[in-house]
Amino acid sequence: MKIVVAIKQVPERDAPIRIAADGRWIEEGDLSYTINEPDAYALEEALQLKEKTGSGEVIVVCAGPERVESTLREALAKGADRAIRIEADDLQSLDTLGVASILAEAIKAESPDLILTGLQSDDLGLGQTGVVLAELLAIPHATIIMQVEPTGAGLKVKRELEDGWFQHVEMPLPALLTIQSGGNKLRYATLMGIKKAKTKELKTVSPTTPPTAPAITLERVYLPEKQKKTEMLTGSPDEIAARVVEKLKFEVRAL
Amino acid sequence: MLAGALRVVIPVRGIPATTLLPDTTGIHYSATLAEPAGFSSAESVLLVLCVLLSAGLFFWRFAPILRNILRSRPDADFSLRPIGRRVWAFVSEVLCQSRVIRQRPLPGLAHAFVFWGFLAFALVSLNHLASGVRLGFLDPQGRLGSFYFLFAAAWAVLVAVSIAGLFIRRFFMRPVWLGEKLSYESGFIAFLIFLLMVTYLGAFFVDKGSTGVNLLWWMHTLSLLIFLPLIPHTKHLHLVLSPLTVFLKRDGFAKIPPLAGDEDFGLVAGKDITQLISLQTYSCVECGRCTEHCPAATTGKLLNPKEIVLGLRSYLNELGPASETPLLAEARDTAPADAHQQLLSMEAAFACTTCGSCEFQCPVGVQHVPIIVGLRRGATNTGAWEDTYGTKLFLALEKSGNALGLSAMERDKFIQKQQFPLFDGTQEYCLWLGCMGGYDPRGREIIADFARVMRHLGTTFGVLKKEKCTGDPARRLGNDLVFQTLAESGLKAFETAKVQKIVAICPHCVRTIANDWREYGIAPVIEHHSEFMARHRDHLPQQAGESIVYHDPCYLGRYQEIYDEPRAVIAQAGTLVEAPRSHERSFCCGAGGGLAFLGEEPGERVSHVRAKELAATGAKVVGTACPFCNTMFRDALSAISDTPPQLLDIAQLTARAIPASPDPMGGTQ
Repeated sequence: MKIVVAIKQVPERDAPIRIAADGRWIEEGDLSYTINEPDAYALEEALQLKEKTGSGEVIVVCAGPERVESTLREALAKGADRAIRIEADDLQSLDTLGVASILAEAIKAESPDLILTGLQSDDLGLGQTGVVLAELLAIPHATIIMQVEPTGAGLKVKRELEDGWFQHVEMPLPALLTIQSGGNKLRYATLMGIKKAKTKELKTVSPTTPPTAPAITLERVYLPEKQKKTEMLTGSPDEIAARVVEKLKFEVRAL
Repeated sequence: MLAGALRVVIPVRGIPATTLLPDTTGIHYSATLAEPAGFSSAESVLLVLCVLLSAGLFFWRFAPILRNILRSRPDADFSLRPIGRRVWAFVSEVLCQSRVIRQRPLPGLAHAFVFWGFLAFALVSLNHLASGVRLGFLDPQGRLGSFYFLFAAAWAVLVAVSIAGLFIRRFFMRPVWLGEKLSYESGFIAFLIFLLMVTYLGAFFVDKGSTGVNLLWWMHTLSLLIFLPLIPHTKHLHLVLSPLTVFLKRDGFAKIPPLAGDEDFGLVAGKDITQLISLQTYSCVECGRCTEHCPAATTGKLLNPKEIVLGLRSYLNELGPASETPLLAEARDTAPADAHQQLLSMEAAFACTTCGSCEFQCPVGVQHVPIIVGLRRGATNTGAWEDTYGTKLFLALEKSGNALGLSAMERDKFIQKQQFPLFDGTQEYCLWLGCMGGYDPRGREIIADFARVMRHLGTTFGVLKKEKCTGDPARRLGNDLVFQTLAESGLKAFETAKVQKIVAICPHCVRTIANDWREYGIAPVIEHHSEFMARHRDHLPQQAGESIVYHDPCYLGRYQEIYDEPRAVIAQAGTLVEAPRSHERSFCCGAGGGLAFLGEEPGERVSHVRAKELAATGAKVVGTACPFCNTMFRDALSAISDTPPQLLDIAQLTARAIPASPDPMGGTQ
């Protein structure tokens, strides 16, 4: 099975986030970057599928500036066979459709059996790229996937629904799945993997069609504004308890 | 030449030689050795044939072993220098038998007597065989000869008594560390050695020229010639190899050698076994000192360091040093085709705390830690080791840069709360927090208290803005990728901050930064807080004599030979009590080698064994000098006792007597 994994490079979780001067994005200068977490699980799923079926190829694709090559190398070190970087120096200027279009162009050239990607990104969290990508490629998709099982010609997948419910879906190939975090156990990078990755192909391609003007633009990004509100509850212990329960349920939504 | 001629018996030191024993039935004591009156040519030819046969058999059995050693991969980092240390190790460990005697004084001395006796006997044996072809060079009646034969006779008595004692120990007392299986070959060899001595001594008691002389002579010769070909395939091979092994062993305790080239991932298969490892495995004398002191082996884990060494030997014998067959099976094979499949397994290799007790004890120069870590490297660097906890640790180190997997922001908050100044080049010391000091609640208490001690002494210090793990757990678990990344990032952080001197509370950090990082660069001078406080002990408060039992951390004691400094600090804080196993023989807490981060241990917990031992001293306080030991004992002490002794780091023991300062910079947390 030929599997393409579309991954995104995002700022590390601990990175000190500062807002850029224009207020529309974050300061990128001194950030360190890593693989988007759900994408790491998508890669893991792809590698396990390859191991399970005993044959096939895993190709990782990432759009972005040169720095994303480190993330692609890591993916190669974990076991991907080839990597493709789509040149896109300013990914922020594109909206979901724009990103999905350049991904679709590169992926179409590979004509894979299966495309995996994380269900959403750690930075923007739109959760749309995979779905739009499937539409552009005109193939079926399923989202929030916990488990994938090949069934000869197709796949059996387990989707996560709300409230502890799951949905089991059978679908044909080729298809696109957006993978939920935590379904598998991630593997650690090894020295042998890194050494092997050096000899693996990392190809750079440029999008041929200019991206359409974004339908969505970012107006302002800002750090969560802290709101500290103290409210004294008065009344009998019973009344206070009832109010606390009510607030925990409907305001804080902790219950 | 000299033998056989009739000579006058020369009395020694004025004692008439024939008066010591009654001269009856042809057996009487003489101060001179009786040698056969002469050898016929037929006898000489027979002797030469026997010697050739014996030597031939020896080499026939020894050659494959030698070939395996020589055909193993050369050690890339091997250097004979510093030669002085090698000579010293040879004199101390081989000639003086220091390691043999120190751990097991009685059997050790018995062994030493046999060894020294053999040395004294070398000349006698040479002369013995030479005399058989009429080339004897020691004259029993000559001044030198008569003296030397008596000198050797004294040794012969010691050897005979010692070997008999060792025989009784092995076959009747049967110490558990020698293994369950009785080796009859060992018994036979002991018997041969005994016979060798008795037939030599007997020659002082027979009439010159009697047939008894010839009989003894030939019995002596045959004992010697039968003994020789038995050497290569028994533990007695150590006679030949171990002096060399001790001389050649890798310089430095528990030193993990650098990987050589792009194809080296550690001990993956036979092709990765180096000459030193090969030599060491063939030198093993199976005494079991390593097992006896192993925290894993003695608490019911699968690991037995002796079996690892013997497993490698068996692998080399079965498959040779060019084999591509993996060394480690995932789990222990209970019905193995080859012995190594049973002896070498990931489960065993990953049960090692790298405490180094085995390596420290080994009298024949086997360096277990690089071997066991080498096997782990082979499994981890290739991704063959799949362990939920291990993977979690590696991912945490990859992502968060600390072993606890917490966000770096947690450390920032702690630094702010403690008002630790950032290191800016104006302070004397860079205070290294480490994962425990930066993230673990108990470790933070230790760091905070040590900072109070430094402030009390007026020493300036600052902490790094960003600090990542030294890579110690990754290093010991065989993940060279994570280790290298962390070591390089750490070296760069010190360089950028222009750090000159570092002080740390964690012996693992100190060892790793000072020693293991050298593969990638030289870090600034680093010391352990025990060294720092010991140097300033005169300015530390003297406290009343509460009894404190000190636990030597493996990575401070055996790894860095720091024993006196923490004791000096404790002596300032109370009355020092020694644990039954202390200094070089200290017993591990169970945390080392990355095991603090792995799952539940099978069998008894190492920390409980040690905690019981420490509590049994009756001391009011258990004093530690390592945050990992501390965290292990925190749980262990409360598990083994309802009223456990207090548990405090040496920094806490010192800081508790320092009055809280009104100055916010010196305040308590």
